[in-house]
Amino acid sequence: MNSGIDLEMSFTEGVQNLGLSHELAHLLWIPLPMLLVLVSAVIGVLVTVWLERKISAAAQQRIGPEYAGALGILQPMADGLKLLVKEDIIPARADNVLFTVGPILVLVPVILSWLIVPFGQNLLISNVGIGIFLWIALSSIQPIGLLMSGYSSNNKYSLLGGLRAAAQSISYEIPLALAVLAIVMMSNSLSTIDIVNQQNTAGFLSWNIWRQPVGFIIFWICALAECERLPFDLPEAEEELVAGYQTEYAGMKFALFYLAGYINLVLSALLVSVLYLGGWGFPISIDWFSSLIGVSIDNPLVQVIAASLGIVMTVLKAYLLVFLAILLRWTTPRVRIDQLLDLGWKFLLPISLVNLLVTASLKLTFPITFGG
Amino acid sequence: MLGFLEKVADYTKEAASAAKYLVDGLGVTFDHMRRRPVTVQYPYEKLIPSERYRGRIHYEFDKCIACEVCVRVCPINLPVVDWVMNKETKKKELRNYSIDFGACIFCGNCVEYCPTNCLSMTEEYELASFDRHSLNYDNVALGRLPTSVTSDPSVRPLRELAYLPEGVMDPHELTANQARAGKLPNQVIKELQAQKSNEESNNSTDMDPNKSNSTNS
Repeated sequence: MNSGIDLEMSFTEGVQNLGLSHELAHLLWIPLPMLLVLVSAVIGVLVTVWLERKISAAAQQRIGPEYAGALGILQPMADGLKLLVKEDIIPARADNVLFTVGPILVLVPVILSWLIVPFGQNLLISNVGIGIFLWIALSSIQPIGLLMSGYSSNNKYSLLGGLRAAAQSISYEIPLALAVLAIVMMSNSLSTIDIVNQQNTAGFLSWNIWRQPVGFIIFWICALAECERLPFDLPEAEEELVAGYQTEYAGMKFALFYLAGYINLVLSALLVSVLYLGGWGFPISIDWFSSLIGVSIDNPLVQVIAASLGIVMTVLKAYLLVFLAILLRWTTPRVRIDQLLDLGWKFLLPISLVNLLVTASLKLTFPITFGG
Repeated sequence: MLGFLEKVADYTKEAASAAKYLVDGLGVTFDHMRRRPVTVQYPYEKLIPSERYRGRIHYEFDKCIACEVCVRVCPINLPVVDWVMNKETKKKELRNYSIDFGACIFCGNCVEYCPTNCLSMTEEYELASFDRHSLNYDNVALGRLPTSVTSDPSVRPLRELAYLPEGVMDPHELTANQARAGKLPNQVIKELQAQKSNEESNNSTDMDPNKSNSTNS
């Protein structure tokens, strides 16, 4: 595997040629990918919100947003702007500090998790050694924030919603982690880069979804539950709990929850595409294709095209999954809280344990296909 | 042991059927996505009300004989008929007539029972106002005719579902001369009459040979 384009190296070299020290060049580089990823995450959310509204409308034979921009593309911006200028209300007997910290504690870990999402060989903020494990660790901070905001609202609906959110997150994190563990076992690394590289040896045939079909389903169900999307949107079930832990929130604090929910959805979709659908990999192997048309893989033009196509592939796969999630929203009824916990503890947990054991034994028997 | 295995088999079967139902449901939702929206974009597009639509009531002052039948048949005695007895001509003289559409339920009883047909239902349904007292229409307001949806240049009239040709679900690309599915009442009557006369003539032709037979024998 070649190293591909390394923007960081070229940037630091360029700055160093201007006469700055290596440390200073590195310092100048650090905020750039962070800002880029933050902006792309927010744009991703805007697109997802728009898609959600349009696809929901199509599934119900409505038109959906139409007048704000072409095809209503500016509607999410208008929503965001509205929430930005809305009055920030804190209930009279709510706990001020916890009420304010809650939404922040929900949003920050989700945004931090974008640290490990790769869009190409070197196109990620940081290739952390613990990679995917960092995401799992960060996502367990979220229920604390949810519980905090639910408890501090001084509202029974909020409290119930917060408790439900915590119960749901905790019980679905275990099968999620076990599904990820099976992948990690196959690629011998926690790094998302290694996980993708291990899948891109023979085009789409070497994607993890063929080796981990059960793991893929478990991961997708758990990801939906973690994002609190239907059929698992119990914490904010509007028929029962008004809006769950968000009931007392207005303005920008509500917008933080809203943003966190959608960033989490896009993030989960991206991670599914990274873990199971070959990340930035093409359906056909790029090495094989470039040798077919007789161009060297080290050709700069090929590298640029491959890198940009890689980004497109990652985003495309992720948005296909987002589309599936939206479609599932209008297909499946909401599960009851006991059914939710049943599914998590009595179905997904044993299945994911069996999946892990089978993966381990397959790895011992067929070390070539299952990553020796 | 066997019982346990059976349980496992049942559980697997249930999970498989649940997955099948889920996929079926996804298919239904996906299929709905390629259908055209049924939305009527209201202020720009309006449905043409059906011919027996019970909208705002129209009233003709000159036809009214102040009999107050409308008041008696009204569920809440809503119409206000303001008349005085003219002693000299010994006739009622109508001064004012009003219906409060904030309270009217548009049941149409008054229209049904009016002996002089001075009341009728229009197709007007846009009665929203900022003040509920302005919904109390006097005889002048009641005498106004509504603008028809089809003659309003700023509105695109759309046919209701029951008025579309057979197999058509979308009223947007329809030309005016395309007839609705099924027959109109007058067509049905014409057909029935034709059938009746046919039967009569058939009967007469049937009877003719009988007659000739009877005369022969």
